[in-house]
Amino acid sequence: MSLARYLIRRVVQVIPTFVGALFFMFILVRVLPGDPARLIAGPEALEEDVRRIRELLGLNKPLYVQFVDYMVSILRGDLGTSLKFGTPVINEILNRLPYTIALALVAESIALSVALPLGIISALRPRSKATYISSVISLTGSSVPIFWIALIFIYIFSVSLRILPSSGADSPRHIVLPSITLSLLLMGNLTRITRSAVIESLSSNHVLTALAKGLKYRVILIRHVLKNALIPIVTIMGIQIGSLLGGAIVTETVFAWPGIGSLLIDSIFYRDYPLIQGIILFIVLVFIVINIVVDVIYALIDPRIRDVLWRTS
Amino acid sequence: MGEKVLEVISLRVYYDLPQGTVRAVDDVSLDVRRREVIGIAGESGSGKSTLALAITGLLRPPAKVVSGKVLFNGVDILRLSEDELRRIRGRKIGVIFQDPNTYLNPIYTSGFQVAEVFEAHRGIHAKKYLNEVVKLFRLVKIADPERRVYAYPHQLSGGMKQRVLISMAIAERPDLIVADEPTSALDVTIQSEIMDLLAEIREETNTSIVMITHDLALLFEVADRVAIMYAGKLVELGRASDLIKDPLHPYTKALLSILRYERKKKLTSIPGSIPSLINPPPGCRFHPRCPYAFSKCSKIEPKAVNIDGRLVACHLVGGSE
Repeated sequence: MSLARYLIRRVVQVIPTFVGALFFMFILVRVLPGDPARLIAGPEALEEDVRRIRELLGLNKPLYVQFVDYMVSILRGDLGTSLKFGTPVINEILNRLPYTIALALVAESIALSVALPLGIISALRPRSKATYISSVISLTGSSVPIFWIALIFIYIFSVSLRILPSSGADSPRHIVLPSITLSLLLMGNLTRITRSAVIESLSSNHVLTALAKGLKYRVILIRHVLKNALIPIVTIMGIQIGSLLGGAIVTETVFAWPGIGSLLIDSIFYRDYPLIQGIILFIVLVFIVINIVVDVIYALIDPRIRDVLWRTS
Repeated sequence: MGEKVLEVISLRVYYDLPQGTVRAVDDVSLDVRRREVIGIAGESGSGKSTLALAITGLLRPPAKVVSGKVLFNGVDILRLSEDELRRIRGRKIGVIFQDPNTYLNPIYTSGFQVAEVFEAHRGIHAKKYLNEVVKLFRLVKIADPERRVYAYPHQLSGGMKQRVLISMAIAERPDLIVADEPTSALDVTIQSEIMDLLAEIREETNTSIVMITHDLALLFEVADRVAIMYAGKLVELGRASDLIKDPLHPYTKALLSILRYERKKKLTSIPGSIPSLINPPPGCRFHPRCPYAFSKCSKIEPKAVNIDGRLVACHLVGGSE
């Protein structure tokens, strides 16, 4: 029961954060240079027409009135209509969401399936090949720009070898290059964090106790080393999945992947206020949800956190 | 006295560090008989904890056994494979560590962690042994054991956690318990309770105990025999009552005089500090701090001589050579 109460409390606590983030975003969108009314009207439109369009969109009202109007429509479940597409913002987001989710999950899975074993082995065997490979990956992942990797991949696999498509999302094969590119970016951090978490866990005194009990090596490794090392790994995974669900902007743009990230870029170029706002609202929501999920996972792993989080709710 | 459970024969354990080789345990021999409590005392850095790890086969690099034997029930545990050693640890040799706060895993219940000892040596998942753990908790005087087996370490006090660690060490009724500073992280009032508990456990389970500590007062209360270590060397070994009445080695004398001064609430210390174990002083390692040192002490290392069952390594004693 305490979990349900904890969740309710968290959701209530998050409301001010949510409203604050929306307000900040609302102002930021409007101080951007560029006027959507003028973009809609076209370069040769009369000043009079531009003014009428501005009134139609409600952009002539004071900022705080616009914000209150916006909040009211959000509460009614209405994110507004895209200026560019003329369709409800929510539809545009929902159309792109499956692509973003697919890319995020595939990339994170690839990254995990390489980074976890590599990080663990390199922690256990400090002078092995795995350690060497993992430091190369960590360094590459965190220092080489993603668009460069993307271009190299396109050159090798699409242009030279002609075995994988370089853009679009028409078939399952289309996800291969963008997801691998993205996973390289994630892998570096994930490997490094896994390695250091396992090293720290290995050197903790309770591992010596486990050895003194005569437990089998495998049991010690899983129960007393790896499970204790999970918290930093889960943290970094949460951050990664959160930012991926908000759209991998560079990767999606380079590979013309029709996800949230490329939608956001389009909407910013078009000064599509409702759409920008809708996407950012969605991203804020994703981060809030992921933060709560990560905290619940912490609590499931560590009883000390469980006591602090749930008992006080 | 009964048969020998443990026999350490001229053991040398060195640490290979970038700064040089640390001779943490240097040619130490001692034996432990059945049902005996033997205390090993010395300042920090005297090598006593390294000795404890060597006895339990828990030495890890950069520590390395250079020579010597550790015979446990006649078998040299330094020659055993990791798996053979695993079968002895927890079942035949129990270990109690220094700091109960860090030697328990925070994410498992205390009962589960004790039950793991049974899992390690009898198979079947630890969860099946919680009833046995309740009995153990009762033995080590943990109040409300049925509930406490489900308590996580952070929900227990320091003394309680140390009792949990003790119950872990005695779970399989081992022949030998090695306790490395079992009370140094606890309040003074709890310290004597834990010592009493260990003494009772010895009575009930017939186990031998190697007790490592720098707290001499506590040691002389429970130990049958006491070994004094200085800078990686064993300088004196004898019955606790003999040592306290008539210490032979100057270092033992100095330690005991501190103890007597403490009773009078005066703070004293032995002049100087414990030497580097990378470049120990030549001859007797204690000679730079020894009030009785003479020319021979800085040149020739004293050999341990046996005087009425007592071992002393000092040129002033025995007088031969």
